[in-house]
Amino acid sequence: MTPAPDNTAPADNDNDKQPLLSVRDLVQEFVVREAGGARGGVVQALSSVSFDIMPGETLGIVGETGSGKSTLARAVLQAPRPKSGSVVFRGKELTRLHGRSLVAARRDMQFVWQDPFGSLDPKWQIRSIVEEPLAAHHVGSSSSRRKRAEELLDLVGLDPARYAKRHPRELSGGQAQRVAIARAVALEPSLLICDEAVSSLDVLIQAQVLNLFERLRRELGLSYLFIAHDLALVKQVSDRVAVMYLGKFCEVGPGESVYKHPLHPYTKALLDSIPSTEPGAARGATTLRGEPPSPINPPSGCRFRTRCPRAVEKCAAEVPKPRELGPGHLVACHFPLTEEPPAGSAGSVPSQTAVPSVPSTAEVQG
Amino acid sequence: MAAQLPDMAATLTPGAQQPLPSLVSSRRLRWQKIGGALRLWVPAGILILLLFLCFVWPYIYTIPPGDTGSILDASLPPFSPGHWLGTDPNGVDIFSMLVYGGQVSFEISLAVTAVGMIIGGVIGLTAGYFGGWVDSVLSRVIDVLIAFPALVLVLAVAEVLQPSETHLIWALSVFSVPAFARVVRGSTLTIRTLPYITAARLSGTSNRKIIFKHVMPNVIPGVITFSLLGIGIIVILEGAVDFLGLGIQVPQPSWGAMIAKGQNVLTAEPQYVLIPSIVLLIFVMSLNLLGDALRERWGVR
Amino acid sequence: MTDALLEVEDLRVAFAAGGREVRAVDGISYKVDPGRTLAIIGESGSGKTVGCRAIMGLLPTGTEISGSARLRGTELIGLSDSQLRKHRGSDMAMVFQDPARSLNPTMRVGKQITEAIRTHRKVSKKDARDQAVELLRLVRIPAPERRFNEYPHQLSGGMRQRVVIAMALACRPRLLIADEATTALDVTTQAQIMELLLELQQELDMALIFISHDLGLAASYADEVVVMYAGKIVEQAPAKRLFGASGTVKMRYTRALLDAIPHLERPAHTELPVVSGRPPDTSMLLAGCSFAPRCPSAADDCTAKAPALTEHAPGHRWACWHPCENGGAA
Repeated sequence: MTPAPDNTAPADNDNDKQPLLSVRDLVQEFVVREAGGARGGVVQALSSVSFDIMPGETLGIVGETGSGKSTLARAVLQAPRPKSGSVVFRGKELTRLHGRSLVAARRDMQFVWQDPFGSLDPKWQIRSIVEEPLAAHHVGSSSSRRKRAEELLDLVGLDPARYAKRHPRELSGGQAQRVAIARAVALEPSLLICDEAVSSLDVLIQAQVLNLFERLRRELGLSYLFIAHDLALVKQVSDRVAVMYLGKFCEVGPGESVYKHPLHPYTKALLDSIPSTEPGAARGATTLRGEPPSPINPPSGCRFRTRCPRAVEKCAAEVPKPRELGPGHLVACHFPLTEEPPAGSAGSVPSQTAVPSVPSTAEVQG
Repeated sequence: MAAQLPDMAATLTPGAQQPLPSLVSSRRLRWQKIGGALRLWVPAGILILLLFLCFVWPYIYTIPPGDTGSILDASLPPFSPGHWLGTDPNGVDIFSMLVYGGQVSFEISLAVTAVGMIIGGVIGLTAGYFGGWVDSVLSRVIDVLIAFPALVLVLAVAEVLQPSETHLIWALSVFSVPAFARVVRGSTLTIRTLPYITAARLSGTSNRKIIFKHVMPNVIPGVITFSLLGIGIIVILEGAVDFLGLGIQVPQPSWGAMIAKGQNVLTAEPQYVLIPSIVLLIFVMSLNLLGDALRERWGVR
Repeated sequence: MTDALLEVEDLRVAFAAGGREVRAVDGISYKVDPGRTLAIIGESGSGKTVGCRAIMGLLPTGTEISGSARLRGTELIGLSDSQLRKHRGSDMAMVFQDPARSLNPTMRVGKQITEAIRTHRKVSKKDARDQAVELLRLVRIPAPERRFNEYPHQLSGGMRQRVVIAMALACRPRLLIADEATTALDVTTQAQIMELLLELQQELDMALIFISHDLGLAASYADEVVVMYAGKIVEQAPAKRLFGASGTVKMRYTRALLDAIPHLERPAHTELPVVSGRPPDTSMLLAGCSFAPRCPSAADDCTAKAPALTEHAPGHRWACWHPCENGGAA
C-alpha cells in the first residue's frame, strides 16, 4: 500500500526528498509441484504490495509464516524476479535491468540472511569473505582492500588480528552474523535488507547485534528494510512498521501508532498474542480463530476474513483498499478498529477468548 | 579437561561451590582423540604402502620379472628363497606379478577415475549451476551414458579392437563419467541454493568466479570421497575384465588374470587365487575406510 | 514437600566430544509439584534440554549421567531403556520443538495416535480409534474425525503441534515436558498452544515443564521459573516474584536477559543494555562463576569461586556473590 504520496512530505523543502526505494504493485507467485512434477497450484506469495522507504528510514515488516515477508525481500532484490510490479531503487527500475547493469544498480542494496553460517562460504577465510564485494567491484588495490576489510571487521566489533584468517566454522552464531554484516556494509550501501537477521541468535547476542545495527544506522546513515516475526523486535528498530498477512499489507504506519493504536484486527490479535513479562496480567486473549488459510487459494475479498471476529459479507465480497486514518498510518480494512464492529459480526475484538472449535461458516474458505 | 580440584588447605567462603569431578573417564576421552586419527591414517598408510610397493620398490630393489620365469622354478611355495610368495606353475614370481599387475590396476583405475572426474565433473557442474535447458540437455546425455551397459561395451571393444590398456580405460570411462556427473550435479544443486552463493552474486562476483571460487571448493570434498569409492569399484571391474581374458592380455600380469589362472588349481594350491584376492580386498577396503574417514573429517553429507 | 511429582537432585550429564569432556548439565536440583507449571529458561548451551532428556532417557549411549530424578518416588536415572519405556508415555511425556519432525510423514495422523495408545494399553483397535478421536477433540482440533485420516503435511504447523500433544497425552501422563514446543510456531499459534497446554493441565491435573529461551513465556504462563546458564541453575523463584513491576530478579544473568529483550514500551532506536561475550564452552569450565567473564558487576571473588545456589529468600534461590538490588536494573 502506498503511504501518502510526496505531497504530504514537507512540500516546499528539498525536492530531492525522493524515496530511496519505491515499490509498487509487486506480485510474486510460485508454482507448486505435486509429486511427479505436475502443477499443483499457484502460491500467491505477494499480491500487489506497494511501499516507499525514505533515505535514513527503517521500515519494519512483521508477519507470520506464509505472510510473504521473506518473499518480499527477495523480490525487491530481484532474486528471483517478481512476476510483475515495479521496484525503483535510487531512481533505477530494477525489474528492467539485467547482468552487469543490475549488479551495478544493486551495489547500494545489500542483504543479511537469517542463517549466519549459511551466508558465509565455509571454505573461505573471514577476511576474504568481507573483501569479496570490494574485489568484485574492483575497488582499490588488493592491499587497500585488505586494509578496508580489517577496518570493517573492527567496525562490527571483531578484532581483525584474531578473526581475519579464521573460517566461519570457528565462529559463534553472533560472530558469524557480524561478519555477514561487515560484508554487507563493505560497499557502503544505502539500504540494508535484513531478513530475520537476528532470529536465530540467543537473546543476549541478539541484543548485541541489534545495537550494532543501530550504531551502523547512525554512523553510516543506513536505511533498513527489517523483516522479522517478533513484534517487539521490529518496533525496537523501526521508524515505520508494516504488518503483512498472506501476501498483502494490512496496516502500515509509524511504529508508535501501529503498536499503541492498531487499526487492523490482525495487528491487534498479533499484539495480544505477545506474552508479556507481567505475571498474571490478563493473558493475551487469543482472538484469532482457526488456522491460516492456504496461500494457494486465498480467501476472496479481505484475506483475513476467515479468522477475523469482525468479518461480515462485505469482507468476502470486496477487497479492502488502504485508507489513511492517521498521519502516515494506513490500514486496509472495511471495519478498522476505530469504529464499532459491524452488525452481524462475531463481536468486538478484545474480550473474547475464542477457542477454535466447530468451524463456522466464516471459516470456510471462499 | 578434568575439573581443577580446589586446594583443600585454602579456606572457602561459605556457600562457595567446588568444581565437580569429571563424569567422563579420561580413557574414553583419550580414545576419542586417537580414534579419529587412526581411522584416517591406518587406511591411508596401507594405501601408501601398496603404492610404494608397486611403483617404488621395483626400482630400488631388483625383483624377478613378472611375465617370465624359469621352468626350473615352477610352483615354488611361499617363503622360498628368492621368491618370498612363491612362483606359479610357469615359474613366474608371484610377488612380482602382484607388483606389476598392481601397477596396471592402479594406472587404469586412476585414469578412469580422472577421466570421470574431469569430464563428468564439468558436465555435472554446468548442469547443476546453470539449470534450465542446459541442465535438461546434459541430464539426458548422462542418462544415455548410464544406460550403456559398460561391461558389454568393454566386451564389444575387446572383440572388435585389440584389447589394450587404453581401450580398457575408455570403455570403463563410460561407466565413471555419468557417475561423477550425477554426484557433482547433485552437490552443485544443493550448494547453489545456499545463501552464500546469493550473497556472492549480490556482492557483484561474476558467475565464473562463483563457480571456481565458491562452488568448486565446496563440491570437491564430496567428489574426492566418492572417487575413492569409485577407484575400488573400477579396480574390481577391471579385474573382472582381465579375468574374462578381455582386458590385459597375458603375459602382462594383472590381478584378475592371476585369479583366473589360479582357478584351475584352486583346491590343490589355493594360494594362487587367495593371494591376489586378499591383496585386492585390502586395497578396496582401505579405499572405502579412507573415504569414510575423510567424509567424517570434512563433514560431507 | 515429599509429595512432589518430580524431584531432581544433583543431576549431571557429561559426554566426550573431540577428546574433551563437555559438562552439559553440572549438578541441578529442582522439584515439580503435581498440577504445577515449571519453566526452565536458558539460552543455547545452558543444558536445559539435555537435562530433561536425561530424565526421559533420551540421550545417546555414551552419555554419562549421574544424580537422581525421582518421578513419584521411582528413581529414573540408571533405569534401562526397556524399564524407562514403561514410564514414558504413561507417567511422563515429552513434546519437542519441530512438529514436522516428530510426526511420521508417511503415516496418517490418527494411526500415529492409536499407536501411541496401544503401546501402553491393551485396547482394541476400535477403542483406540475412539480414544484417538477424543484426544484430537481434547486438543481442540476441529473436525477430529476427518483429521484422523489425514497426513501430517495436510495440517498446518499449529495443528501438527496439537497432534503431537495429543500423542503425548494418549495415556494421561502426570508430567508433560514441552521442549521449546512453541518456538517454531507463529506468535498467534504460540499463544493458542500455550493456552491449550494450560487448559489441559487443569483438565488432566498434569504437571507441566516447559523449556524455552523466552522469558516472556515464563512470566505469562509459569508458576515457578528456573534459569539455567552453562549447565547450572543460577536462579529459581516463583514467577510472581521474578517478574513484573514488583519483580525482584537477583541473579545478574537473569537481569541481563530481561533487559535484553525488546520491550514494546521502549521507544524505537534505543540502545539495548548488553553484556558482551558469549555463553561459555562447557568443555572448558572455569573455577569461578560461569557468568563472571560477561557480568558487568563481576568482582574478584566472582572469578575465584563459584557461588552455590542457595535459598536467600523464601522460595527464591540464586547463585550470585553480588546480586541485583531490589527490582531495578543493575
